[in-house]
Amino acid sequence: MKLIIGNKNYSSWSLRPWIAMKAAGIAFEDIVIPFGTPIGNPDFKARLSAYTPAGLVPVLIDGDVHVWETLAILEYLAEKFPDKQLWPADTKARAEARAVASEMHAGFAALRGACPMNIRRPVRVRELPAAAQANAARIEAMWSGCLARHGGPFLFGRFCAADAMYAPMVTRFHTYGIKAGAAARGYIEAVMALPAFAEWRAGALEETWIVPEDEADWPTVLSA
Amino acid sequence: MPLKLIIGNKNYSSWSLRPWIAMRATGIAFDEEVIPLYAEGSKENILKHSPAGKVPILIDGDTRVWESLAILEYLAERFPSAGLWPSDAKARAHARTISTEMHAGFVPLRSECGMNMARPHVKKALSDDAKANVARIETIWAETRAAYGAGGSFLFGKFSAADAMFAPVVSRFESYAVDVTPSTKAYMDAMRSLPAWQEWRSAGLKETWLLPQFEEFPREQRLRA
Repeated sequence: MKLIIGNKNYSSWSLRPWIAMKAAGIAFEDIVIPFGTPIGNPDFKARLSAYTPAGLVPVLIDGDVHVWETLAILEYLAEKFPDKQLWPADTKARAEARAVASEMHAGFAALRGACPMNIRRPVRVRELPAAAQANAARIEAMWSGCLARHGGPFLFGRFCAADAMYAPMVTRFHTYGIKAGAAARGYIEAVMALPAFAEWRAGALEETWIVPEDEADWPTVLSA
Repeated sequence: MPLKLIIGNKNYSSWSLRPWIAMRATGIAFDEEVIPLYAEGSKENILKHSPAGKVPILIDGDTRVWESLAILEYLAERFPSAGLWPSDAKARAHARTISTEMHAGFVPLRSECGMNMARPHVKKALSDDAKANVARIETIWAETRAAYGAGGSFLFGKFSAADAMFAPVVSRFESYAVDVTPSTKAYMDAMRSLPAWQEWRSAGLKETWLLPQFEEFPREQRLRA
């Protein structure tokens, strides 16, 4: 299988299926197609069009099956590798995991806009608009609830597709110094301590591409 | 205990339409509770059922599922005979792909053409971004029908969760008199001929809750049941 992804530093959607597969031990080859600038530049779209009609990363290619859209990739993998338990085995927990994963998939636009994923950005607290603060509060309440109900260290006990969906949010909480309670902080540490996350982060730090649209402090580019 | 689906106004709540029509069109029995949106106490009422504070919400015993797509996945597992996803693995992957593309996408079209079943069918000028959304959706429908639609009039032949996800778009194309190709029109006709569609629409047109923030025309021009 091949996973077509964008820049590891910036592409939050790409991180989701990538970390799900790495953490679960599903073998694949990744192909990075850097965004370039500006985002949506014709060159990116042209190179991507060989793999996907939707013009977005990530794309999973498994023989003649092409799956674009993160959540569909996770569902495809969950079906193809049932022993990896990408979703919780318990029906009720699985329903809850899909609900929080879907909530992430279509939501939290304000926080995503205010705090683009930017792995190499040094940790600096950023003032958030009210709508982004409300997103952060909902996410923290959701994380805390899941951790309390299912015992941690991940949202539903062991790492699952719901954690993969929130992995970019974990990096945002970290990078932008978003305040969080002890339970959520423990969760952020657990995700960032995953070998799969460390591998992604190392890949991101090797990249030299700068995407102004995803630099919250532009025209300043903070670096360590 | 029967399943219960908590939904918003049938005239306006596009997210509510999705699981509702999926259940109705495939014969899954359920009770519904309508919580009129943007009314006094509606936020609190919704929060009683779901921590995310949004409709729709499916209640099945002590299981609560919020988010349309998660509800569809839950129903597909719980009622395998309803055939909510295509049975072929490749077709199913495609169905989920286009459903998730709908779930997180097409924001310009959704915001410029909010679902409003009672809106008189008057053409609205769309931004370039919304026009690009329309073009992409028409491509999705045409390609999916061509590759998988041979067995019927819907995207994968028979009605599936993917059609449920796109049902509100059919309503928007109709309400805003969007220019569409003949094949898009044929798909819209298939959707509109579903008894489930007609039942929802007729209930929506009978609703008297008017949300001025979504209305462009005087009340007397609204369509009636």
